[in-house]
Amino acid sequence: MKSIVLRVILLFFPLTTYAELSFQELAMLSDKPEQLQGRFTQEKYLSVVDAYLNSSGLFSYQRDAEILWETKEPVQSKVVLTPTAIVNRQGEREIVSLDSETNPMVGVLSEIFFAVFTADWNRLSGYFAVSGEQANQQWRAELIPLDAVIKQVVSRVELKGDTLLREVVLYESGGDYTRIHFHELSR
Amino acid sequence: MSRKTYKQRAALFSWVLFITLICFFALKKELLFDSSIFTLLPQSDQQVVVRNAAEKMTARFSNRFILLFSGSDEKQVRHAVSVMADGLEQSEYVGKVIWQLPKAELIDFQEELFPYRFTVLDARVRKQLLAGEYERVRERAILRIFSPLSTGKIAVIDDPFGLAAERAFNSFSALKIGLSNGLLKVTAAKQPTYMLSTVLTASPFLPELQRGVLAIVDRHKAQFAAQGVTVSMSGMLMHAAAGAKQARSEISTIGAGSLLGIIIAALLVFRRFKPLLLMLIPVGVGCILATAVTILIFERVHLVTFAFGAGLVGVSVDYALHFLCERHISTAGVVLRRILPGLLLGLLSSVTAYAAQALAPFPGLQQMATFAVAGLIGSWLTVVICFPLFTRDDALQPLAAAELFSRVRRSFPRVDQSRVLAGFFLCLLLLASVFIWRSEGRDDIRLLQTSPVQLLEQERHVQDLLGLGSSSFFLLISAETLEQCLQEEERLAPLLERLREAELFDDFQALSRVLPSLQRQAENERLTGHLYQGELNALYDLLKLPESRASEAGDRFTQEHGNTLTPQRWLELNGSEGWRHLIVSRSAGSAATVIHFSGAYNDQLKVKLAELAETEKAIYLVDQVANISHLMSSYRLQIINLVVAAYLSVFLLLFVRYGREVWRVVLPPLIASILTLALLVGLGQGVNIFHLMALILVLGIGLDMGIFLIETDESPYTWLAVSLSICTSLLAFGLLALSRTPVLHHFGLTVLVGLSLVWLIAPTMRKA
Repeated sequence: MKSIVLRVILLFFPLTTYAELSFQELAMLSDKPEQLQGRFTQEKYLSVVDAYLNSSGLFSYQRDAEILWETKEPVQSKVVLTPTAIVNRQGEREIVSLDSETNPMVGVLSEIFFAVFTADWNRLSGYFAVSGEQANQQWRAELIPLDAVIKQVVSRVELKGDTLLREVVLYESGGDYTRIHFHELSR
Repeated sequence: MSRKTYKQRAALFSWVLFITLICFFALKKELLFDSSIFTLLPQSDQQVVVRNAAEKMTARFSNRFILLFSGSDEKQVRHAVSVMADGLEQSEYVGKVIWQLPKAELIDFQEELFPYRFTVLDARVRKQLLAGEYERVRERAILRIFSPLSTGKIAVIDDPFGLAAERAFNSFSALKIGLSNGLLKVTAAKQPTYMLSTVLTASPFLPELQRGVLAIVDRHKAQFAAQGVTVSMSGMLMHAAAGAKQARSEISTIGAGSLLGIIIAALLVFRRFKPLLLMLIPVGVGCILATAVTILIFERVHLVTFAFGAGLVGVSVDYALHFLCERHISTAGVVLRRILPGLLLGLLSSVTAYAAQALAPFPGLQQMATFAVAGLIGSWLTVVICFPLFTRDDALQPLAAAELFSRVRRSFPRVDQSRVLAGFFLCLLLLASVFIWRSEGRDDIRLLQTSPVQLLEQERHVQDLLGLGSSSFFLLISAETLEQCLQEEERLAPLLERLREAELFDDFQALSRVLPSLQRQAENERLTGHLYQGELNALYDLLKLPESRASEAGDRFTQEHGNTLTPQRWLELNGSEGWRHLIVSRSAGSAATVIHFSGAYNDQLKVKLAELAETEKAIYLVDQVANISHLMSSYRLQIINLVVAAYLSVFLLLFVRYGREVWRVVLPPLIASILTLALLVGLGQGVNIFHLMALILVLGIGLDMGIFLIETDESPYTWLAVSLSICTSLLAFGLLALSRTPVLHHFGLTVLVGLSLVWLIAPTMRKA
């Protein structure tokens, strides 16, 4: 369950060029753009069938207000995240709608979620251990969940970027992984 | 030594021996204080199955307590939880501390349900399948697979439609609790809040347990407060301890107050220490004997009995004062002979009044009656046996106070001489009667509540945050088998959903929501079969995966056909722990489950559910609060009957002795009682059962007064004795009226007003 949080958090986090290796330093350097948008391509590897599922689309985010994740290919769908709800849309139809009232889990999700976007690293550091390296303008970081329950779903997260976050890879414990690449980013 | 003195000494010796023996046996039994509302109440006349369920729910609340830790700094809060857990685990009274998920149990609860993904379906999925909207289930499966927010693993072969994930994501826990880094986090709280729950190894009423466990909790609580972490508690333990503490402090205050009153009054009147010491002996013996007998007969002494009993001091002093005052003008040889008829009648009338209470099938009343009767007899016997011996050599000595009191008394107008006064009483009585007649009884359970408001609020706070269902309000489903119960619940579910949508309550917890009936599971599997037939190939096409894979997934469904979640298997799951208590009983030929409601449910819900329970044979609405209010109202009426019956028998008894003069004895307490009741109604208190019980006391003391007076031909010394007695009682009960416990407050106020009126009315009915 927590994997959702992780994925969402990590996808949108804009990192600076001089990303350091501890949360404390990240907190000092991290850029907090009011809004950010761009395109993404996603590649999901499913080990059971040894196959890749590819998709792509657009995303945008307004700080503290909402995040829009719009898949264009191969199916059309929209996911809207607000501080209190997660809404899945296909066309004009609401497919899944969850709010923190009916599903307490959503409350927890949005809590952590908005901690990230207000750069509340103190809260985040309760969830991950970080390590990484930096060369020229490129950096690479690895996050390991501290929580054993989360770890059972996401064993490891890889982040790559330059001025902004460019790629996220989520490794699942069963051998599956999801690679998301961001491009055409604009503020 | 004369033969008489020898006999007196023998009697004294036997009496002391008897008291010592009783006390010896009582001391061997442990004294347990009780402050639970429910033990005051009679066994209900409900059906066995309903009573069992109610008892089980109450017990569940009794033998555990919950702590919530909250603060702004999450790390501090988490640290506090583990420190408290370590502390509590050291206590021998704490059996189990639940605060984290042990590493060994980290296998996701959802994993163990995975084999039942075709039979235990998410409610929404089931609804769509029933409506034949198969393509919508497929659409959602596709969305999940491509979504960056996918929930859980994607098992394209085992579960291509993500049925397990759907069920897991919408799964609701019995409590509003989530796992956060291995600890139990309260999801509905604004600040980071974590839960710790414990199971006690013994009764929460055990004083050692209260001391041991609460010392640990309080010590840590103070320590955490400095770190900005607050701890709130819920559970019977907290209320039991508060009740016991309050009882101890109120008993000592009230006891000390009335004792002080006696001492001051006695010193003022007698101006010597000996009568004072003598007075205290029967009072002390009465209290000791009453306590010992009560402990021997009852398992636990309720705080209400004890506090009420402390007031008995005031009544038992009657006999001593009567003897002592009379002794000032009668010699040692004749004093007892002169006052014995009066003493005996006084005892008989009081004991009759109290024994009437014992007839009510109300454990609380029985306990108080036992306490009172034992105490009165003890004091009375002490006076009769010991006093002649102890005052053998005292000289006759007139008392100045007697003359003073007598003058005051004679200054009152007399009813048989003043038509105006008689008319005044008549009008007053008529008015009061009309007033009482038009009033309504008050049988609110809050009268029985002994916990301070602050604790009750803390309790509510914790229960609300956790979404705990009430342990005193629930639906009970009873049938021959658990399967039938589950089917019944499922039949009921749509109605409950409608009530929830109408916002009659927040949520309900029913077993069938996590463990569907076998009938429903079979139906679910059929529906899933249709889904696979119609949509599996389309799904694989969209994913651009080969058809061979689709048939592999289809085969998997066929292989796992008939994988049903039987109650037996369900009970073995880790995830069922928080739900198991919903099964109240399960034995050959009978089973019962309960449905709980959480959130602030309103009266409309009660009405709706009551209607439902009326029409459905297998469904009962259990509402302990209403049951108790109902019981209190029926016992209020019963007590009125008992009081009237007691009064009539006392009246007959006295009529035999006094003939037409009996009105002088009976009317003062009767008029005082009626006026007191009217006054209470006027104060807006509404007449409740405790007012009536207090009136029995007013009658007892009032009758004593009348009897003593008429027996000694209204001697100034008798008037002095009864006035002193009322004075001490007023002091004792006046303090009771200040009690924070509603029961004691009502009791004290009634006696305060009643006795004052008796003292004011009695002189107007004097002979001369």
